[in-house]
Amino acid sequence: MGVATATLVESFRGRDWHHFDAQLLLYVLLLMGLGVVMGYSAGFNDPSAAGGMSESVKTLIWASIGITLFFVVASVDYHWLRGLAAPIYLVVLGLLTVTMLIGTNLFGAQMSVTVAGLDFQFSEASKVLMIAVLAAYLSGRRERIGRLSTIVVAGVLMALPAFLVFRQPDLGTALVFIGILVGMLFMSGASLGWMGLLAAGIIGAAPIAVSMLQDYQRQRLFCFLEPSADPQGACFQLIQALNAVGSGGWLGRGLTVGGEGQRGYIPVQSTDFIFTVVAEDLGFVGGLVILTLFGLLVWRILLIGWQARDAFGMMIAAGLASMILFQVLVNIGMVMGVMPVTGIPLPFITYGGSSLISLLFGMGILQSIRMRAHKPTL
Amino acid sequence: MADLNDGRVDLHRSPGRFIAFSIAAMLLLLALGGRLFHLQILDGEVYAGRATADRTAEVPIPAPRGLIFDRAGRAIAVSVPAWTVKIRPADLPAADRSRVIARVATLTGADRAALRGRLDAFSGSPFDLVPLERGVSREAALLIGEEAEALPGVVVTVEPIRRYLDESGAAGGPLLSHVIGYTGPVSRDELATLEADGYLRDDVIGKAGVEASFEEELRGTYGSQLVERDASGRQLKVIETIREPTPGRNLMLTIDAEIQRKATQALTWGMEVADVSQGVTVVMNPQTGEILAMVSLPAYDNNKFAAGISTEDFNVYLADPDRPLRNHAVTDIYPPGSTYKLVTGIAAMEEGVTTPGRQWPTFGCYQIPGAPDGECLYDWNRQGFGPLDMVDAFAKSSDTFFYQMAVETGIDPLAEWAGELGFGKLSGIRLPSEEEGIVASTDWARQQGRSGVFTGELAQAGIGQNVVAVTPLQLLNAYAALANGGTLMKPMIARGETDATGELVVPYEPEVLHEIGADEGTLQTMRIGAREVITSGHAYNIRDLDLPGALSGKTGTAEFGELTDQGTLPFHSWFVAYLPSTAGATDADLAVVSFNYSAVVPGNVSAEVVKYFLQLHYDLDEDLRLDPNDFSLVTAN
Repeated sequence: MGVATATLVESFRGRDWHHFDAQLLLYVLLLMGLGVVMGYSAGFNDPSAAGGMSESVKTLIWASIGITLFFVVASVDYHWLRGLAAPIYLVVLGLLTVTMLIGTNLFGAQMSVTVAGLDFQFSEASKVLMIAVLAAYLSGRRERIGRLSTIVVAGVLMALPAFLVFRQPDLGTALVFIGILVGMLFMSGASLGWMGLLAAGIIGAAPIAVSMLQDYQRQRLFCFLEPSADPQGACFQLIQALNAVGSGGWLGRGLTVGGEGQRGYIPVQSTDFIFTVVAEDLGFVGGLVILTLFGLLVWRILLIGWQARDAFGMMIAAGLASMILFQVLVNIGMVMGVMPVTGIPLPFITYGGSSLISLLFGMGILQSIRMRAHKPTL
Repeated sequence: MADLNDGRVDLHRSPGRFIAFSIAAMLLLLALGGRLFHLQILDGEVYAGRATADRTAEVPIPAPRGLIFDRAGRAIAVSVPAWTVKIRPADLPAADRSRVIARVATLTGADRAALRGRLDAFSGSPFDLVPLERGVSREAALLIGEEAEALPGVVVTVEPIRRYLDESGAAGGPLLSHVIGYTGPVSRDELATLEADGYLRDDVIGKAGVEASFEEELRGTYGSQLVERDASGRQLKVIETIREPTPGRNLMLTIDAEIQRKATQALTWGMEVADVSQGVTVVMNPQTGEILAMVSLPAYDNNKFAAGISTEDFNVYLADPDRPLRNHAVTDIYPPGSTYKLVTGIAAMEEGVTTPGRQWPTFGCYQIPGAPDGECLYDWNRQGFGPLDMVDAFAKSSDTFFYQMAVETGIDPLAEWAGELGFGKLSGIRLPSEEEGIVASTDWARQQGRSGVFTGELAQAGIGQNVVAVTPLQLLNAYAALANGGTLMKPMIARGETDATGELVVPYEPEVLHEIGADEGTLQTMRIGAREVITSGHAYNIRDLDLPGALSGKTGTAEFGELTDQGTLPFHSWFVAYLPSTAGATDADLAVVSFNYSAVVPGNVSAEVVKYFLQLHYDLDEDLRLDPNDFSLVTAN
């Protein structure tokens, strides 16, 4: 214990911190700040928030835990993840199974385990952990990377947790796993020909997957094609979201006064539909600021990956970039009616401690990669 | 291209893939920005307009429901303001649901399960108000107001509910419940067909009696207004009134609440002394068909329904074998017994089977033609009466005389004349759930898979047994047609529409169903017979009533069911009477029928009920009611 602490202190003092990537932290903090402000605006005058901790206070607690975690992880060489890849994989599978069995019921989905009064959705953390597992596998493939077996094994590795999450049921997170897989395979240099063939096969099998969905998932999924199909039911949310986004104009209606979101027309606005609040309150300019911040963040992550000292670091960066990009595209696309409605959070902005903690953990690893880019390979 | 991480590669890094990924990411984010621009800037006004449209809503303005008066202008159904507890599901967090419902139940004294049931049954938008409990006390309403903070989603409003009054203006549901009926919350099934007519999810609708059958008149037309609403759907302000509501029309019934009271009093007395479980008394003006009183016992309290009946109370009504929720006068059918001899007599004379003066032998037991020897149908008088003509036979109610009339007439002519007198078809009274009854005919037999009616059945049809069933109202209406000279009227329950004070402004005209196609002489013979029933027949002392006319009528019984401990069959008793100025005259303006179900006391309790009613109605000093032990003096048949 004492030794570990000493190592930690030493590492904080070390010259690694000269390579600390301040831009990465800046974009993350800006996005988180916007998230707290938007969450506050969304919850303003919301009667259901009265009583327990307000969403904003909870977010601040989670954020401080997350930022602490960020610095701790950054200070440690990220290679511990590589060594522990196999145990981590087993833990992910185990915890996802446990979550599926004992999770508390949130909107009909078994998605979270409650610890000390704060809900923790393990499926959020599992995304980041699976990035590490997959990075360890792919970076070890070296010259065999172009073989079909790379894609098959990586696919199977990812399919198990994705299936467990899908059965919770949490369709959104299961899709994120697929997004991560595709992004990482692409960046690893896997065979584009085989990937294309497999992608064609998966698209061919899509109708089977759709038939496995619950009715409510299916209805929500297809709302974006024809929102007026069921305006009072499953598509109600999407129609209201479009109205809210559309009424934002150039500069928005201002914080806490937005009409659509404010009046509770969008039931889960403080979570998955948070971008409607941004768009309505802050308008096109506010929306563009968020998209730009995400663009800068993704670029920064890719750059850190490119400059990583080894393929393991590069693959982790590729996975995190894929995950964030995928979630941003699907979440914002969803509220703007160009993507199906699935429960995917907007990174750093959607209220949700587990999402925030997991992301900051991932950002900590990135920082660790960045800080150690110039060290010799182990 | 030179490797940027020269010398530190364990996996080949492809700059092509890196660049492709980066460009793809930026293009995708740019596309999102483009979509945002499209939504917010290019189409912004469209969506902003829709969002504003969400904030304003056209909401209905309910029309005040029409009042109901009796024929003397007494208000008998009024609307009074009452506290109603409602809940807006969108404002009630799921976690607080049980607690809030339990607290509302405690404060209002309502049943927790019933409240939860009403909330669960609601199918509308979560922003709509769901009525949980109507007619809440003022104290409870104030307490809920005080605890508003702890009861999210709960709203207390003032709404009109129905209050049903008796002849004295006091709350008196049971007096007129079967006529007036009650209102209640519109059901999901009703809403499915009525939503297009402007019915709302939390609307009330007439459920029974006049409230249901005159729903259209009483409801009026709802108006509408444009309002602005806030986050929780609460109304902020009225922007404009689009259409003013048209109040429902006020109705005057043909019922006289005082006559209703007297008929109820007489029937209640008769049922009690004869230990009868169900009874009916209907009073009518035979000239117009107006119903002056319609009593069906046991009755129910429609004021319980108006405020939202509890499941317990409702189940008590449902479980009662005497079916207090049914108006036995129009929705239940019974064998008419000897009262039906009116039909047989008219048919026999009109079909040329007999003439008023022709005498027929009567028997102790009538041998059924074509049946084996000894298979006969008894007269109630096992000795027989000797030769009788139509008037005597009707007065003495000889069964064997009318067996012969029926058999000679034939089943289909008999059925035709029954139809002529209104049997076997709806009278058309504007009350819900009227029954048409059963009249045996060849067609009727074929519907049952037989080739025709047996001769024995035909004979029994002649005395209203076995294959004939009528509503008390049909029987009264047939005798009313006899009384008024041969016009079958459509029984009327509403006299017209009134102003707010109960003054008749739009009278409804009496409606003739048809003239009975019988010879005037035939009807006159039956009227003489009906008078003879009172004077020389066996209605006993009813003839001694000091009435302003020549009371005429007919008794009847029909045995049914299983033998009692005394070895007799329980029986229905009937008495139908009308009061012309002199014997045979057609100027009667009062006709009354009484029916009692399942008496075990011998004698005709219905005749006693009518006698007592006439005493009360004409305010007679002398009380001629028999001791219940002497009811057998009024021969049942």
